[in-house]
Amino acid sequence: MNCLQKNPATRRYLQRFIPTMVAYVVVLLFVEWFVHRVHPTGALLDGMAVLPAVPIIGVIAIVGMYLAEEKDEFLRNLLIQSMLWGLGAIMALTTVWGFLQIFTPIHRFQPFMTFPLFWCFQAIAVGALQRKYR
Amino acid sequence: MGWIRKSPAARRYFLRFVPMMAAYALIPLFVGWVIHRFHPSGALLYGLAALPATAIVVAIVCSGIYIAEETDEYQRNLFVQSILWGVAGILVITSVWGWFQIYTQICNVPLVWIFPFFLCCQFIALAALKWRRR
Repeated sequence: MNCLQKNPATRRYLQRFIPTMVAYVVVLLFVEWFVHRVHPTGALLDGMAVLPAVPIIGVIAIVGMYLAEEKDEFLRNLLIQSMLWGLGAIMALTTVWGFLQIFTPIHRFQPFMTFPLFWCFQAIAVGALQRKYR
Repeated sequence: MGWIRKSPAARRYFLRFVPMMAAYALIPLFVGWVIHRFHPSGALLYGLAALPATAIVVAIVCSGIYIAEETDEYQRNLFVQSILWGVAGILVITSVWGWFQIYTQICNVPLVWIFPFFLCCQFIALAALKWRRR
């Protein structure tokens, strides 16, 4: 984590990324609470379902800003590579799960889990890549 | 499609990516046929369900190879940005759809459609980025 503290672009990235992820969790909890408490219908319910997408778009925009601001090509490539691995993992997982859902009575995968799982895989990939390039 | 003709790395990417997509289209047909004909169970069934994902993982590795091989920084950035938009698109779609599935009577989208949706989002983003910077 040393390089993260030293690099201004990475520092700004973390300063934007962490509050946005916190906002995502807070929005999720709020939507869950609101829907169960108020039982909205129609446009309000649709709006509530769309609300968690706002921090998701924010997170992706933050990643884009980091890639534009980061001068260290190694760190930039590290993030791109880790996102590609995260993408590969989540696409592989959803495809395998999707086929298993078609052919077997497996537990149904909730699509909203794609976002947190993508970042879990990305974090694992960052760790593995940093270890490799150490 | 001019960039494919101009850049050797893009040409190589295209030559690797298209067969993978053909494999991705054909393997599920083969898997479906084997499952319906032989009714496998246990590890064999799970292995067959995992088979289409191999084409996806290889296709994403091809994207990584292209990013590493592309010497034109403008084209590389364009491609990375389009992947980011593709990721954003698919994460937003799955999150919103996921919440709609929980709270409303909306139909379930088969998980196997997530990868084609990602490719659509990426392709639209690539076209839009190229159009914007024309």
